[in-house]
Formats: sequence, C-alpha cells, structure tokens
Amino acid sequence: MKVTHKNPHSPLFAHRHATITLTLLSLLAPLLQACKKLLEVKAPVTNLNAANVYNSDLTAASVLTGIYATMSKGSFATGKQSVSLLAGFSSDEFTLYSGVTNNSYIVYYKNTLNANQNLQGNQYWGELYRYIFFCNSAIEGLDKATTLSSQVKQQLYGEALFIRAFCYFYLVNFFGDVPLITSTDYKVNISLPRSPAADVYRQSITDLKAAKELLSSNYLDGNLQNSAAAERLRPTRWAAQALLARVYLYIGNYAAADTAATNVINQSSLFTLPDLDNAFIKNSQEAIWQLQPVTSGRNTEDAFIFIIPSSGPSDAAGVSPGTPCYLSPWLLQAFNGQDLRKMHWVNQITVNNTTYYYPYKYKLTTETPVNEYLIVLRLAEQYLIRAEARVWQNKLPAALADLNSIRHRAGLKDTTAASRESLLASILQERRVELFSEWGHRWLDLKRTNKVNEVMSQITSKKGSTWNTNWQWYPLPVDDIQKNSKLVQNPGY
Amino acid sequence: MLLPLRSPLIPRLLLVLFLSLICLYAKAYTGSQNDHPVTLNGNTTLRAVFKAIKQQTGFAVMYSTAATALNQDEKMTVNFKDTPLDDVLAYLLRGKDLEWKYSDDVLVIHKKETLPAEKKMVTDSTVTPAMITGKITDAAGAALPGVTVQVKGTSQGTTTNENGSFSLPKVSIGQTLLLSMIGYETQAIPVKGKSILAQLRLAISSLDETQVIAYGTTTQRLSTGNIATIQAKDIEKQPVNNPLLALQGRVPGLFITQANGLPGSGITVRIQGQNSINNGNSPLYIVDGVPYPYELPGTGISAILGNSGENANGAPTGSGNTLSLINPADIESITVLKDADATSIYGSRAANGAVLITTKKGVAGKMVVDVNLQQGWGKVTRKLKMLNTPQYVEMRREAFKNDGITPTLDNAPDLLLWDTTLYTDWQKTLIGNTAHFTNLQAGLSGGTAVVQYLVRGTFQRETTPFPGNFADEREGLHFNLNTASANQKFHFQLSGNYLVDNNQLPNADFTSAAIGLEPNAPPVYTHDGTLNWMLDLTGKSTFNNPLAELLNTYQNKTSNLISSASFSYQLAEGLSFRSNFGYNNIQSTIILLNPLMAIQPEQRSFSQRSATYGNRRNSSWIMEPQLTYEKKIGQGSLNLLLGGTVQQSFNNSETIFGSGYNSDLVLENMAAATSLMAYGTLASTYKYTALYSRINYNWRDKYIINLSGRRDGSSRFGARNRFSNFGAVGAAWIFTEEPLLKETSGFLSYGKLRASYGTTGSDQINDYTFLNLYNQVFVGVPYQGVNGLLPNGLVNPYLEWETTRKLQLGTDLGFLNDRILLNATYARNRSSNQLLNLPLPSVTGRPSILQNLPATVQNTSWEFTLHTINIETRQIHWSSNVNLTLPRNKLVAYPGLAASTQADFLVIGQPLSVVKTYHLLGVDPVTGDYTVADAMGKPTTTPDYIKDRTVLSSPQPRFYGGVQNSFTYKGFQLDFLFQFVKQVGTNALFYNGISASPGVSSFFQPGNQPISVLDRWQKPGDNAAIQRYSTATSPAFYNAISSNAAYTDASFIRLKNIAVSWQLPESWTQQKHFSCRIYLQAENLLTITHYKGLDPENQTVVALPPLKMLTAGIQLKL
Repeated sequence: MKVTHKNPHSPLFAHRHATITLTLLSLLAPLLQACKKLLEVKAPVTNLNAANVYNSDLTAASVLTGIYATMSKGSFATGKQSVSLLAGFSSDEFTLYSGVTNNSYIVYYKNTLNANQNLQGNQYWGELYRYIFFCNSAIEGLDKATTLSSQVKQQLYGEALFIRAFCYFYLVNFFGDVPLITSTDYKVNISLPRSPAADVYRQSITDLKAAKELLSSNYLDGNLQNSAAAERLRPTRWAAQALLARVYLYIGNYAAADTAATNVINQSSLFTLPDLDNAFIKNSQEAIWQLQPVTSGRNTEDAFIFIIPSSGPSDAAGVSPGTPCYLSPWLLQAFNGQDLRKMHWVNQITVNNTTYYYPYKYKLTTETPVNEYLIVLRLAEQYLIRAEARVWQNKLPAALADLNSIRHRAGLKDTTAASRESLLASILQERRVELFSEWGHRWLDLKRTNKVNEVMSQITSKKGSTWNTNWQWYPLPVDDIQKNSKLVQNPGY
Repeated sequence: MLLPLRSPLIPRLLLVLFLSLICLYAKAYTGSQNDHPVTLNGNTTLRAVFKAIKQQTGFAVMYSTAATALNQDEKMTVNFKDTPLDDVLAYLLRGKDLEWKYSDDVLVIHKKETLPAEKKMVTDSTVTPAMITGKITDAAGAALPGVTVQVKGTSQGTTTNENGSFSLPKVSIGQTLLLSMIGYETQAIPVKGKSILAQLRLAISSLDETQVIAYGTTTQRLSTGNIATIQAKDIEKQPVNNPLLALQGRVPGLFITQANGLPGSGITVRIQGQNSINNGNSPLYIVDGVPYPYELPGTGISAILGNSGENANGAPTGSGNTLSLINPADIESITVLKDADATSIYGSRAANGAVLITTKKGVAGKMVVDVNLQQGWGKVTRKLKMLNTPQYVEMRREAFKNDGITPTLDNAPDLLLWDTTLYTDWQKTLIGNTAHFTNLQAGLSGGTAVVQYLVRGTFQRETTPFPGNFADEREGLHFNLNTASANQKFHFQLSGNYLVDNNQLPNADFTSAAIGLEPNAPPVYTHDGTLNWMLDLTGKSTFNNPLAELLNTYQNKTSNLISSASFSYQLAEGLSFRSNFGYNNIQSTIILLNPLMAIQPEQRSFSQRSATYGNRRNSSWIMEPQLTYEKKIGQGSLNLLLGGTVQQSFNNSETIFGSGYNSDLVLENMAAATSLMAYGTLASTYKYTALYSRINYNWRDKYIINLSGRRDGSSRFGARNRFSNFGAVGAAWIFTEEPLLKETSGFLSYGKLRASYGTTGSDQINDYTFLNLYNQVFVGVPYQGVNGLLPNGLVNPYLEWETTRKLQLGTDLGFLNDRILLNATYARNRSSNQLLNLPLPSVTGRPSILQNLPATVQNTSWEFTLHTINIETRQIHWSSNVNLTLPRNKLVAYPGLAASTQADFLVIGQPLSVVKTYHLLGVDPVTGDYTVADAMGKPTTTPDYIKDRTVLSSPQPRFYGGVQNSFTYKGFQLDFLFQFVKQVGTNALFYNGISASPGVSSFFQPGNQPISVLDRWQKPGDNAAIQRYSTATSPAFYNAISSNAAYTDASFIRLKNIAVSWQLPESWTQQKHFSCRIYLQAENLLTITHYKGLDPENQTVVALPPLKMLTAGIQLKL
C-alpha cells in the first residue's frame, strides 16, 4: 500500500484552506490599500474651499460683497433690530407704542437693559465682531493670494480695512473700551482684554488712512469693474475719508477732521446736496456709501419699521415686522416751524384721534421697481462735521457757511448764532433734526458732547424709568464675560 | 429594485452576483463525468479503495449498504496508474446493477434507476441514500414548517418544508443536529441513523431564542455581551407609528422619549446614557445589515415634527425620525447592543450602542396568506387646568391696577373689545379631537427547503387631534427571497422595503395656542364663515386667530427604499465566504404654504404670500465581504470572522423660498412665483471604510471567549487622524456546566458570569468640519447682482475620534429549569477625547470651534431583568417580564474646566444635564416680586447670573423600567406593559412656556395661565406662591424661571400597552382552512403622575403630548 494516509485535517487539506484564505485575503489587500482613497472627500458642491476663494478676482470680491449683503439683510444696519431704531429708543428720538410687549424694545426705551438677558444691549457686539472676523479672514486670505489682479487685491484690501474701522467705530461708541481684534487666531482672541478706546481709534485711523489710499475713487460694480452703471454700493476712497472725518471729530482732532471732510465735500462732481425728496433715493447725489436692499420685493427695511400703516402702530413679533415707534414729542418740538424737513422727512397718521408722527426719509416699502437704498454715509453729515471742526478751530465764518448750507436746503434762514458756544449748540440742534432716525447719531452725539446725563435724566423719567449715568454704555454680553475672564463688564450691570 | 439606482456600482455588483450564481448551479449539475486520476495497486479491500479515492480526488464515496449490497471488506486486486476515476468505478462496480454520480465532493453510488434521464435531472439531488432525512413536529404532533436544521459546528443546514420534513446531505453519524425555531426551544439531536423524528417544545426558556448580533446570531445562553432582543410578537401588539416606540419600557438601559404625539415625530433614543457632551448621542441603526440614518438633513421648515435629540453643530437641525418609515409589522426582531463586546465590531460608529432591525423572512411551508385590519382612536391623555373667563379677566384687571396703567383699546383689547363673558375651552377646540388610526396589512409567505419567499403590503392612515383635515398616510411593500443551492453550500438572500409616506400637518402645533389663548378670545369664525381677526376700530387685528395655521399647511412626502442582498458560499468544510450589499434611498419633498389669507388683514397690503419647498435626500450604499471559519479544536469550537466594510452616504438638501404669487390657489406651483430663492443647499458625502475580525472560542458550552478588533477610517476627520483601531474582549463562564454544579444543583438550572471590556468610537459630527469652507450668502436679491461668499467658521484639521471605553460585568441565572431567569448587569462606559464645540466669546467672530478636549464622561448603570413563568399548564400560561435600570451619568474629569468656557454648563461630578439655577426664596411680601437667594443666601431681586446660581438641578431619569405580564388561556391572550420613570423635569406649570408672567397678554403673547397662578400676591403682607400680576414681564420673573422652581418631579407610571386577543376555536374554522384572531390593543391608556403639565414624557406645552390610542382589529390566516 502506497496510499498515504491523509485525513481531512491533514496538512494537505489545510493547505487548500490556506490557499483559499490567502486568495481572498489578497483580494482584501487592495481594499486596505484603497482605504485611504475611499475616504477622500472633495469640498461639497455647495461650498468653496478657502484655498479657492482667493484664487480668482470674482470669488474674492464675493467675500466683501457677502458682508454688505449680510448687513443689508437687516439687523445692525437696518430694520427691526437696527441701530437707527434701538439707539433712537435709548435717546430722546422715539416714543415706544404703548401696545408693545416685546421686551427687547421696552428695555432700550426705558434704559433698563439687563446684561443677563439675551438681546439686551449686546446683539451688536456679536454681529460687529462677526463682520470684523470676516474682514480679518479676508485680509489674511488676500495676504496669501498670489493670482489676483493687483487692482482687485488693492480694492478688496481697502474695503476690508474700511469695514473693520466702521465696525470698531460703533463698538467703541456703544460699549466703550473693547477688545481690539485684528486676526482670526481664536487662540489669541479668546482671552483678549478690553483695549482703551483710544487704542481702538488709533487702529481705525491707521486702517482708514491705508484704506483711502487703497480704495478706488470711482464707484465699482459687483465684479470690481469701473463701470458707468456702478451704483454707490461699495466703499470708495471718499467713504474712507468721510468716516475718517467722523472719527477725527469724535476724538477731537479737529484740524484733521476738517481736512478729511473737505476732501469729500470738494468732490462736487460726485456729491451735492439734492432737494429733500431726492436725498434718500438710490444713487442719490448726496450718498457717499449706500446699502442695496436684498429682500425681494422690498425697498429699505428702515421704511418697513418706521412707516406706520393706517391701522396705527403695532407690536413687533413673529413674521410681521410691526411698527413699534413714532417720533417723540421732544424731537417734534426741535423742528422749527418753517423746517421743510418736518414736511418732507416726517409723515403723520391719525388713528383713534391720536396723531402719530413717523420718520419719512424712506418713503417706499413694497413698491417696485426698488427706488430707495439705505444711506450709510452722506454729504450733509460731512458739512456738519466740518462746521463743528471749524468752530473748535475758531474758524467761525467758515463754520457758519457750512451750517447754513444745510439749513438752506431745509428752507431755513441763516443761523443767528454767532458765539462759539451758541454755534456749537446750533450745530448739535442741526444734527438732531438733520440726522434723526439715522444710525443712532443722536444717541452718539449726546454722549460725545457730554450732554447725555443732562438730557436723559429728564427724558428717561418722562418715559417712566430712572436714568443712571452708567446706562449710556450698553452692557457686554454676559456669555462673553463668562468665556473670557479678562473681559470686565461695564459698571452698573 | 424599485427605484433607479444612483450608483452604477450596485447594478454591476448584482450582475456579478447573479452570474456567479448561475456558474455555481452549472457546476452542481454537470458533475456527471470525472477524469480525476487514481493510482493504486495490490491486494486490498473495497473500503481501502474508497479511502484512496477520497485522498487522491477529494471525493468521499457514499452508498447505502442495504440498497447496493456492497461489501466493504470484499477483497480485490487492483492495478490503477493515473486511471480516470470513472474508469476506476466502472471496474469496481462491474457486473453490479449500480451506477454513480457526483455532487460537489461527494460521490454517491446507488442502484441503477429505470427512470428516464431527464426526470433524473429534475429530481432533487439531495434525495440520495447518503443523506439523512427527518420530520419535525410540535408537542401535539403537528408538522412544523420552517424549523432551522443545522449541523452543529458547521454552516451546513436547511429548513423544514410544509410537511415538517427536511433532508440534509453528508451528515455523518455522531454529528449533532441543532433544531431551532423562534418560539420553540432549540434542541440538539445526535445523528444515530439516517432518519430523525423530533418534537420541538414551545420555548419555555428564552435563553435559547435566537438573537441577532453584529454579523451573526447567538442565543442568550451563549452570548458574552449585553444584548436585548424584542421579537415581532411584542412589536405587533403595539399600535405605534414608529417601531422605536415599541421598545419603550421593554429594554433595560434604553431610554426613549417622543418629541410629540404627531405621526412621524422626532424620537430621542439613548442607550446607557449620554456619552458625548456636545456631539451625537444616538445609536447606530442597522436594518437588515445596512446602516440606516435616523434623521434626514434639515430644511428648516419641518419644525412641527420635532427633532430626534441631536442638534448637529452648525447644520439645520434635522426633524422627525426616519425609523417611522419602516413598517413595525414587517419587523421580525429588534436587537439592542449595549456593551463593547457587542458593538465594538461596528467601530467608530457604535459608541452609543447599536440597534439592529431584522425584517421578516419567508418560512418554508405551504403558502400562508395573512390579512390584518386594525382600526383605532387616539386622544390627548389629559388637559391642563387653565383659568376660566372670570378668573382670567380678574387677573388682567388686577395686572393693570398693580401697574397703575389704564386699560385702553391698544393695550387691552381682551378686556375692552372682546366679550368678557365668552368662554372657550381651547384645549377642547384645538387639541381635543379624536385621531383616527387605520391599519391594513396583507402578506403571503411560503417556500420549500431551497426557496422561501415573503411579500407583505401595508396601508396606514393616522389623523391628528387638531381641527382640520390632517392625516399621515403610508403605503409600504416588503419582500424577502431566500434561496440556497441544493447542497446548501450557496445561500442567497434578497430583501427590500419600500414605503411611501404622505404626512399632511398644519405648519404649527396647536398645543401652544390651546394652552395660551385667552378663555374669552373671540369665536374663530365670523358670521360669514371667514377667519375672525376681531378687528378694532382702526382695522387692526386684536386676535391672533389660531386657525390661520389651518391655511399654512405642511406636506411632507417621503419615499424610503431599503434594499439588501447577501450571499454566502461554503468554500470548504467550515470555511465560508459571504458578502452583504445594501442600498438605501430616502427622499423627502416638503411644501409649506403661507397664503395671504393666513396673515392678519391689515398686514396683507405689505405682506406677500409665499411657499417654501424643501427637498431632502439621503442615499447610502454598503458592501461588506466576509470570511468565516469554523473548526473544532480540542473540545471546543472556534469561530473566526474576517471582514471589511466600504460605506458611502450622500446627503442632499435644498430649500427654495418662493414669493410674489398672485393667488393663494397657486402656491404649490413653483412656476407661479415671481421670485424664487434657494437656500440651505447641502450636498455632503460621508465615506467610511474598515477591516475587522472576530474570534470566538466556545469550550464545551462552558467557557466562551470573544475577541473582536477593527481598523476604521472616516472622512469626517482631517487627513492626519483619519484611521483608528478599536477592540473588545468578552468572556463568559457558564458555571452550571461544571460537573460539580451540574450534578448537585437542582434549583439553579443555569448560571453564567460574563464580562466584557473594549473601545468604540464616535464620529457623529458634521461632514467637512475640517475643511475651511465658504458658504453662499442667501438673500432675495443678490447684492450688486453677485452672490456673496462668507467663511463658514473656524476649522480644526486635527480632529479625532471620541473614544468610549466600555466595561460590563453581568450574570445570568436560571432557576427551576429556567422558569425563572434573572439577569443583572453592571455597565461603566467612559467617553473621553470629547469632540467639543468649544464655545468662543463672540469677539472671535464665531460662536464655537470643534476640538478634542481631554474631558471624560462616565455612564454607569445597573440593569436588571427578571423573566418568570408563573403558570404553565396545558391551557393556562402566565409569564412576567420585569426590567429596571439605575443609570448614573457623571462628568468625571475635565482638566481646566473652571477656566474653560464650559464652566457655566458643566460641573465635575454631576450629570451632563445639570442646570445651575438660582434658589427661589418666594415672593417678597412687601413688593410682590419674586426674590432669589444670592451666593451668600441673602434675598435679592438682582442676582449675579454667574455667582448666584448655586442650586443644581438635573432633569434626567433616576431610574426607569417596565413590568410586562402575559396571560394565555385557551384562545385568549392578555398582555400588558407598565412603564415607569423616576425623573426630574421642567416645570411646565410654573412657566407655561408660551406667555410671559401672569397678567401679560398681547397679540403675540396669548395670556392665559394655569389655575395655580391664582395663589398670587395682591397687597403688601401677602404670602403667596406667585408674584403680583403685571402687564409686563419683570426681571424678577426672569430670575424665577432660571431658578430651581423651574424644575419639578416628572416621574410617572404609564400603562404603556395593553393587548387582548381571542383566537377563534379551531373547531369553528378548521374546515374552512383558515384561522381568525380578534384583538383590542391600547397604547398610553393610563398615566399615573404628580406632574402638573400636559405630559411628563415630553414635558412641554408647546408640542402635542403622546396620544393614548385604542384599537380593535381582526387577523385572518388562510
């Protein structure tokens, strides 16, 4: 017998198994190799990867456009949470409709902001720092960009610096000292303390000076082309100058404010003072920078929140924006009887025998085609800045001329003020009736000129509440203070 | 396949599969010739020749001595040298009336048959003398079709046919057959002859019921892990619209809450607690081997459904729960895998446990047609007691008086314009209707030993307790096909579920209006039948009519395909190759209409009618090739599994907002809009791949050890940390198998100690978080005609897995012949390397950044189950199931917590759900305002939010469980299940969640309050529970809702399910060849609780509570 005894468990049998196993494993091996490839994912079709954004002029420009579109959607810049509305409540501009139960209005109106509650004094904080983050990431992206055309790169750089300074201006004026954030590095930013307001202003001035060199002197279209059809929707060299004039005025550098405002006013081919009804339309001759409404079928969000329908003022909540405010008796009294602005920029409606006066600078809501854009910076302010700066420099006749050019458009005669103090008072009065319901000018002016305690202690008590000098600063978000131990709350909160 | 497949890969794979199937059949039937060379010479015996054939050719020679009259010991002289096998056989069997044939590696010698050759071809080749046959019956002697017959220690097996008969080739004497069938005790029969007759007893012990586990099955007797299984018989008793709801109260360690009582609502599932601080805590769902998403990407317009407990970072919150797209009646079993031993093989996906859903399969036997019709009625379980009109009016007047304000038409239309004598019970009007439930199921199934099939169809319609015609309708089809080659070496299975759901609901839940609306609010319709807005003199609406929401309709149409195919082939003794393929596709189209008529009249001139169209798709495919090897080593058996997974999932969604329609009637037509705006577009891809292995060694059913390991990769992480390893070890000692105990212990019939330890991971974060992406800015009119782009957030390329280490110790004890079964498990799960969305101060520009932080969360739990058979006679059967879970969740470590941004939300040593609250001292008798204690315990109305919240509340269960009893008497059956939960919840009564403090009422803040507000402060010196009424919400009230009084006991005992059925006596129906069962089923019938809100489960007054449902039905089997 030469038969080899083999049973099923013999090596030969096992060898068969091993062969099969190895064969199958060798099939699995490429799988293992392929594992890495199997896990690779590209950026989704809905998004762009950061690396690609700053590769082309068009996508790079879209980043800054994204900031303008976001601002224009409504919150800080316009509409029911806007600085125009809420700072108007905080000051003596508006009266809150008695039927409003929405607490987030009541607390502004009565100067009773509570730092522990969300949306009480601190919603601008997060929003403005979000814009600053967008600007900082654009600056960092542009720094690394190698394939952009130099004209586009320069313009975008300038826009980012300008917007950053614009945001810091409002942060400093609402909150006082604020953290100065100039990069996207969260590991640094997470624990930054508040920088003195002077430092923030200094950085803003540096940014604006750089921006005015970088920015185009012509209006550009959405693709950053110098087109005749371009509207006044992107910041230019003149917007940087205008904001610079305002910043210099606020920090008391009057000579510099004078120069910057003059640079804008001298651009008479671009900027003039049109008649009152044409001041707030799109591409107004007065506009230095406008924001285009982005909600379809609508003109400005400001018109929506201010224009009171025939049914009267209403609470603002839910989908309906409501019309919670009307002009305060104190603001109405501030208008001279002859003032055309009271006829053209204020409207009224009588409901149940009560007459409500409301801001009517923007007159259109759903009318199409859209004919009104939101004005951020306009020429009249530059005249008033220069007038004030000139008073402080003792150039009284020149100051008078600037002030009167604003008064003339409103159908008023030359001012009778002659002394330095009376001129300053007339300019403040003129700012009140010229810039009402716009960008919180009144609230900031009261604070800047140290009149806030004097005025508001009376007004607040008439609003049924009590003024405290601490209330001129809005509270920092309590969340941020908890997350950053170096951040200190404003006193009184 | 019922839907067009997106990926070209799947059809190709299926094609390959079918081709290989054909090849294998071809091989099996063409083995009639064989040229294998054989070499042998000398004097020998027939036995030795056959042995040599086996060794040299691999063919085992089989024959029946009786039939062939062959004598193994017949001496013969042979001289073969590379002689073809056929020639060898022809020589050996010369002159005998015998012939042979080949079947795989078996060579069968049999008597020459006189039948024609064609006939022979179709004869089942398994009917050979070399195989064993048998018949299996139940205790009464009736044939049992569908019994699984398996040769122990091998993958060889079959199922019995309609006569209860089976046949198996190649079974040698001495091997053991395992006979198993759900509901019957598994029996082991040693093979002693060629035919077997066995009786299966009804399963007394649930120890031996089959449990589905990851890539296989086991029984409770032999498992080393912590596994719980719910069978179809319990799922079928519950008239639920989501199979997950059938698990409530039944599984220890599993806590399920329902977001609301609407069909398709969100459902939160937690297995052994919350492991992750910020990321996904939902288990992995596997349906027929295919991973299944529990939620679709959000469109932002499905808020009414509620979410399923996850709020994915950054993405729109998903809504509803997709498990509701699986018909509960199609489910054979749901297995919940809890410990590392059971889940580790799922690697990075199963840190939160896994839920395996297995759908019904065909059973061999004659065709059975099954028709089931069920009709039911649902109601809200109870009402909240609210102020009536005089009480309400008194509250409002007092509020004005307290504030010193004169009511005017502007600030008090409810007092001056509305009829202050009118009373409406808004809960009755808005959530008090009866919801109707109709369910029709029809199915047929049957098959033979080699092919089994099942087809089932379902129709279900469920309405809501809301006014209006809202209903959820679904139609589904489920099929399953099982086939095997005649020699049982090749198995193939195909199954599919397709369900179409049409859910029509109002846009908003009426519950908040039902609670909040003023009792004297005007009638909802005017005399002319239009919506009543109760205009004031100026034409302004004063009544926010809730029925406007009837016009704002929400339609969600979803189709769901789950398909899977798997095949296995036995390569050699004990070695099999198998692979699963799966494809899922869920598509959902949502239309939300906002007609102008739903807007208050004075707003219409400057409002627009609009419609929102949402589309959501999730599709995924998976392929899982595997090798399994089984071998006896020593006295034990070894099981090896080696496999790989490739999975890809695609999520797409977009939402389109249309406006500018010229009529309310055309809103569904997107083309009728003048402006369309797309937003919320999502297109994400998730890729996942893994290699895994499992080794199981079972030594004489006494010592069992289970090792598993896996290497995993997920595309959710940056390239640096994409791969990771996971592993687990589980061991069990069945000490009652020790000879000493086996002989001595009559009382203790079964005893097992088990332990497991291992790691699993969690990659439940959003896709692409490691990429720095820029998103489109969505606006109605592009700024300067250009779409803006903005960065999505801060990115972290170093993200890694969250890792959970799970330790479980347990014992399973059976007493009195396993009539009493007790399980106790201690589990300790520790999750570390937490993927935390580190909240950032807003100065950074972003709300948060995702990071791995060295925090550790520990979940410990004690789980107990007790299963007893209390009475077991021929006619009466009574059994009970009790389960109890004592969970404890704790943040164990968080280096640097105090300085971190999470310090406000987390406390070391406390559960993750901890809430820091003020200590409410009560109402100041002087001012009538709520006062809270500051950190020093002194009363204050202006506490410091950071320092003064000193009381810790923790809304989460302390213990929970269920008690189930099952009685059978002749044809009657009664089952009931009580669920109990001891927990702290939100105090809905104190703060009704809709309106602000008592006394406030406005158009958008309806002002009714629970009657408990009557105990209020009225004048100095009053000691009251509720602060003074006011027309404005005061800061003191905000302090109170952030106080400990905002939390209360929300424990409850609920009669979760009760089911009664009566089987018509066979004597009535047998002649007509059908059986009939009539039944009543109820859900949430009774709730015992001190909780004062609407419902202690969802603890809210803004969402419909779970309904109580009563149904009646009839089931016919033909």
